[in-house]
Amino acid sequence: MFSLYKKELQGYFLSPLAYTFIALVMLIFSGFFIWWIFTATSTQVEFQFSYFFYYNILLTTILLIPILTMRAFAEERKNGTEVLLLSSPLSVSKIVLAKFLAVATVLVIAMVLSLIYPLIASIYGYVVIPNLIASYVGYLLYGLAYIALGLLISSFMSTPGLAMLASVAVSLILFFVELMLGSSFLASLPVLSDVLYWFSNQAKFENFTQGFCQLSDLVSYVTEIIVFLLWTIISIEKRRFSRS
Amino acid sequence: MVEIKHLTKYYGRKAAVKDISFTIEDHEILGFLGPNGAGKSTTLNIICGVIPSTSGTVTINGYNIEDQPVKAKQCIGFLPEIPPVYMDMKVGEYLMFVAGLRGVPASKRKSHIQRVMQRLRIEDVSKRLINNLSKGYKQRVGFAQALIGDPQIIILDEPTVGLDPSQLIEVRNLILDLKRDHSIILSSHILSEISAICDRVVIINHGEIQAIDTIANLESSAKANTVLKLKVQGSSREVARTARSVEGVVSVSNITFVKTGIYTYDVEISDREVRNPLLSALLVNKMDVLEVSEERKSLEQIFVNLVNQPAGKKKSLQDLLEEMEDVNQESASEEPSAEDENGEE
Repeated sequence: MFSLYKKELQGYFLSPLAYTFIALVMLIFSGFFIWWIFTATSTQVEFQFSYFFYYNILLTTILLIPILTMRAFAEERKNGTEVLLLSSPLSVSKIVLAKFLAVATVLVIAMVLSLIYPLIASIYGYVVIPNLIASYVGYLLYGLAYIALGLLISSFMSTPGLAMLASVAVSLILFFVELMLGSSFLASLPVLSDVLYWFSNQAKFENFTQGFCQLSDLVSYVTEIIVFLLWTIISIEKRRFSRS
Repeated sequence: MVEIKHLTKYYGRKAAVKDISFTIEDHEILGFLGPNGAGKSTTLNIICGVIPSTSGTVTINGYNIEDQPVKAKQCIGFLPEIPPVYMDMKVGEYLMFVAGLRGVPASKRKSHIQRVMQRLRIEDVSKRLINNLSKGYKQRVGFAQALIGDPQIIILDEPTVGLDPSQLIEVRNLILDLKRDHSIILSSHILSEISAICDRVVIINHGEIQAIDTIANLESSAKANTVLKLKVQGSSREVARTARSVEGVVSVSNITFVKTGIYTYDVEISDREVRNPLLSALLVNKMDVLEVSEERKSLEQIFVNLVNQPAGKKKSLQDLLEEMEDVNQESASEEPSAEDENGEE
């Protein structure tokens, strides 16, 4: 399994994908950082995690993570290399896990690099360390959930381009559903809004940016990741039956 | 040893493979022969555990591919129709990755890959991107991949597609060389290729086994029909009548005009021994034989006729050939037999 993980990770860095991803993540961070500097007043130089990370994670998950996950299974299928993996003594669950960990590693690398912004902020302003840690934990989990989702969509598709489009579409739909959560119309339907709220990634993420690392939120994100990964495994196993 | 029992595969309602059973012994090269779309690739994919079967079992060295896939797959090296290579990797890197995938211990990987690359003569491209290699080289890298980890059973799906003639011979020799310590299943739609290297051959069409026989039997049956191409001076009717009157001449056909009084004929004879009596009969009747050339009925033609047989299981190749002969004779005697068959269907 390690060799597949290694190959996947190498693959991201041999192609422009990982660099593009990291550069765009840094761009988003920089943009919001500059915005924060412009809006900060001399009396309020505390690093604003909730705003800073809220838009950041939205852009990253909707636009950037699909760049990384699109290739995972769709390209193997397109190039016929899927056969190599399926005929090798490696179970489908290990294949999925190796690919998931490889994408996760790229995300972690981008996050580590992004630590430079809180660092600069801490020199000239004020950073609340518990908030910082909680935000990064939330950011990682949120990202991992979308990586798992992206892998699942990639396993449905036959070309990376399609996988990317579908991932962006699904992420956007999820975004708009969560946007509706605050509307008065949904508030008039208590059951529906409650259910949606339980599954809302953004609501949980908000807790993290406030500096709360709640067990329920952690479990919820981890469950989401596991469900998507299991679904991916099932999807690939199922596809074996119909391939020719 | 690989045992395949009552293998069936349905894609939706369409049966790709119907109730196939055969075994591959140790140190044997088994040819898997059939036209495109006959179910060859499907069967090989099932044996390798890439796709599951609808029913039936595949046992590899005692491990069932469905129940113990990891152990069974460790015994298999598979070269699919399209070489499963990553275009953005270098040859050495790629083989290293496959070695890891197959569980070759990290300390032995380098020397193992070196050996495999030597065997396939791809050391000189080991530092090149697979994407930049020619088709023949890609095919050889794919072949190398199948040998990584020294699997006991090597399954090759059309391994010689895209190779030039000298590479073709190299690959053939390699396969023969591999026979010493591996069992090999080789699929192809080219009979001459299979006849050059395989011990036994399984002929499959429409997802059903048409025949399982040794190459020796196949070839001896094929040699039974020899066609002589004659260029003779004389009246075409006379020549044809004289030739037909000789014992052992099966048919005279394809009479073509060359110039006044000279025609060419295709004379099918049952045995090479008939050749001299035929020629002397012509000469005795004062017909000048200008040219004689021998054309063995091509193996491919035999194969095409075999696989185009109406569906149904055949016991041996011999039966098939006999049946084929009957059909030929029927059609030769100008009975609308083909139409009858269609009518029955």
